[in-house]
Amino acid sequence: MRIDARRLTKRYGGLVALDDVSVELAPGKITAVLGENGAGKSTLLKLLGGLEPATSGEVVLDGRARERWTLADARDAGVFVVHQHFSLVPSFTGLQNLMLGDEPVGPLGALRPRPLRDRAERTMREAGLGVDLGARVSAMSLGERQRLEILRVLVRGATTLLFDEPTATQTRGEASRLYAMMRRLADGGATVTVVTHHLDEVVAHADAVVVLRRGRRAFAGGVRDKTIDELARLALGDAPSAVTPPPLDHDAPIALELDALRGRRVDVPSLRVRRGEIVGVAGVDGNGQDELVELISGLSTALGGRVLLDGASLDGLDVAARRAAGLGTVFADRHRFGVVMGATVHDNLMLGELGGDEAARARARLLASGASPARPELPIEAFSGGNQQKIVLARALDRRLVALVVAQPTRGIDAAAAADVRRRLARAATDGSAILLLSSDLDELRQLSHRLIVLHRGRVVAELAPDVDEAALGRAMLGASAA
Amino acid sequence: MTLTRPHARAIVAAAIVLLTFDLLVFAAGESPWIALSRGLAGSLGTAYGVGQVLYKATSLAIAGAAFSVAYRAGLFNVGLEGQLSLAALASGVVGARLGWAPWWLALPLAVAAAVAVGGAWAAIAAWLRVAFGAHEVITTILLNRLADALIPLALAHGLGDGGVRTGDVAHAATIPRLSTLTHALAGSAASLAVVLAVLTPALLDRWERRSIAGRELGLVGPSPDACRAAGVPVARRLFAALTLSGALAGLTACGVVLGYKGHYELGMTAGTGFAGIAVGLLGRGRPLGLLAAALLVGALQQAGLVLNASVPKEATDVLFGVVILAVAIAGRREEAR
Repeated sequence: MRIDARRLTKRYGGLVALDDVSVELAPGKITAVLGENGAGKSTLLKLLGGLEPATSGEVVLDGRARERWTLADARDAGVFVVHQHFSLVPSFTGLQNLMLGDEPVGPLGALRPRPLRDRAERTMREAGLGVDLGARVSAMSLGERQRLEILRVLVRGATTLLFDEPTATQTRGEASRLYAMMRRLADGGATVTVVTHHLDEVVAHADAVVVLRRGRRAFAGGVRDKTIDELARLALGDAPSAVTPPPLDHDAPIALELDALRGRRVDVPSLRVRRGEIVGVAGVDGNGQDELVELISGLSTALGGRVLLDGASLDGLDVAARRAAGLGTVFADRHRFGVVMGATVHDNLMLGELGGDEAARARARLLASGASPARPELPIEAFSGGNQQKIVLARALDRRLVALVVAQPTRGIDAAAAADVRRRLARAATDGSAILLLSSDLDELRQLSHRLIVLHRGRVVAELAPDVDEAALGRAMLGASAA
Repeated sequence: MTLTRPHARAIVAAAIVLLTFDLLVFAAGESPWIALSRGLAGSLGTAYGVGQVLYKATSLAIAGAAFSVAYRAGLFNVGLEGQLSLAALASGVVGARLGWAPWWLALPLAVAAAVAVGGAWAAIAAWLRVAFGAHEVITTILLNRLADALIPLALAHGLGDGGVRTGDVAHAATIPRLSTLTHALAGSAASLAVVLAVLTPALLDRWERRSIAGRELGLVGPSPDACRAAGVPVARRLFAALTLSGALAGLTACGVVLGYKGHYELGMTAGTGFAGIAVGLLGRGRPLGLLAAALLVGALQQAGLVLNASVPKEATDVLFGVVILAVAIAGRREEAR
């Protein structure tokens, strides 16, 4: 089915998220929606998927304008959004999740899973999706969960699939497999739309591209109508330059030291970070990174060992006291530990530091963060995820820090914003802060760090130079050198 | 859809309430029209009725504010009932022993006793929550039961007159009735405590907007983890919110004991705490909202009393529930995401 957006506009209060945008999505094609954080990509998807009503403009199906376009209308028309965060029940099997909310029942109300299972298996064969329907979701890999999510909308009759940043947390290999699957769907006549901020994916896999910039359409057409550089400039402005760490003074004093620090899942015998040094922590997610940050910040209590800041033990100090001593922390889980939803940007910028000359400090932080619009009175929900991340970072980087522990600082934010964040980290190091950088973006780690350590099952299994080749780093992350 | 428009929802909600009222009164064998006019006349139609509504609204507004301050911090204080009754007992016991004191000492002492006891009772639940993570809904319900058992015990053993009530509060410790100001309210229970009912929600609101602790309450509520990670003293804020909630429940007791009855007797404040939860939720923690909700609930209660002869109390309770649901439906804010 052909689905067009005609002059769609969406306002949230005073904020224009999408401004007079028209796009045409043709069946049989993969259309990429490209843009930086806050460009309006997710908003466009929500309007097309009927998740939110447009302020003005309309959705046109096969040439017929639809006056009403609710979630139910979209589903009736086979238009489904596949979300970045899956809505699956972990304790249910794949099949149970497929049935949930749409249970096939026979006479007397008994559950009849058989026809659904047959249909699901046929769909899997056609679309090239491999999902073990009998396995519990909690035992599935992220990739398998995503395939189940896609299978669910296909079984419900999806002919138009709108993917919201499906590859945000995926490796390159997983992403390629996902795009191959999308191609089969498109070849079968489906309309496939993908929101992403990975330019290389767009060039490699999409047929058509829509570029959004600050809520407006900057370009729409075939992928091959523009060069890669042109697309990048359209979406992001001028290309961001690579960031390098400042030169390291090997005689600088130790600013952050972990001494036999032990928690439930981590055990770090000794780690010293000098002033001005950036130490990258690599590792597959879930190998103790989160607890390490919690232990250093004072959010959870160590089972043993000490954290020293400028040679002084932080033993017995809570989060606020450690912060006052010159420690900055940015947690990986922005939704849980970063922002307070429902509060204003101002309150989020000043969280934990209310009082004093607040208005001026909040304004300065907001300006330094580069988040837009620079309006502290707006609710934080009015900002895109990337802009929220900038606000969280601005809170930590506001002052001169002895040490900064920062986890996943650029996860889910666009290239220009990420480069900006890395520049701010490098500048903090230049100013003399010791930085412990935990990231799953290996390019970022290699680019920014003076040296790398690798965490595997809570232990430091390797210490490597940042220019180590990727294969060796990968082996260490999988624990190969632990033996 | 028409139902999504606020005024349309308000009309539907009002219609639901009226229909329920009609059915209930019919079922009781009365004419709805006559019952309605008698209920209105008895609550808002006479000076005495207005006085009674004011008296009830006084307690409800303060109790609603008490609920709101905990709710803002993400805590659901079901224990208003127990905090209120113990505080009422305390003000009666202390008030009865203040015959020696001048009014400027006696009244503050009696009020302070109520506030301190209400706060202390809530502080138990607050401590259990902060130190052990025990959920405040469970602990405050249990503490309500404990208060129910403790009060008769205390009244029978030394604190009361040996029966079900305390001695009479010293005149110096009472809050003057409004009827001393205007003769029109003669016989009505409303007292100068009505000033507290207006001031408490307003001052609380100001504190929640202006002070650091008050503002942090509103941030701890939606996201305790983010606050903890940013160094906000979450445990201290939670403890303070629930304790303050109990202290305000104690203040509620003063209007009843010191402003009206002049003593405490068993069961005197029963139901006020629970009605305060409804007022707090309806008023959404805003000062004018709390006052409006308190007046609405107070008028309903008074009208229910007037009709008690012909329409059973249970019927007015049902109506009360329907009104709360209807207001909740009508007042639901547009989802803004």
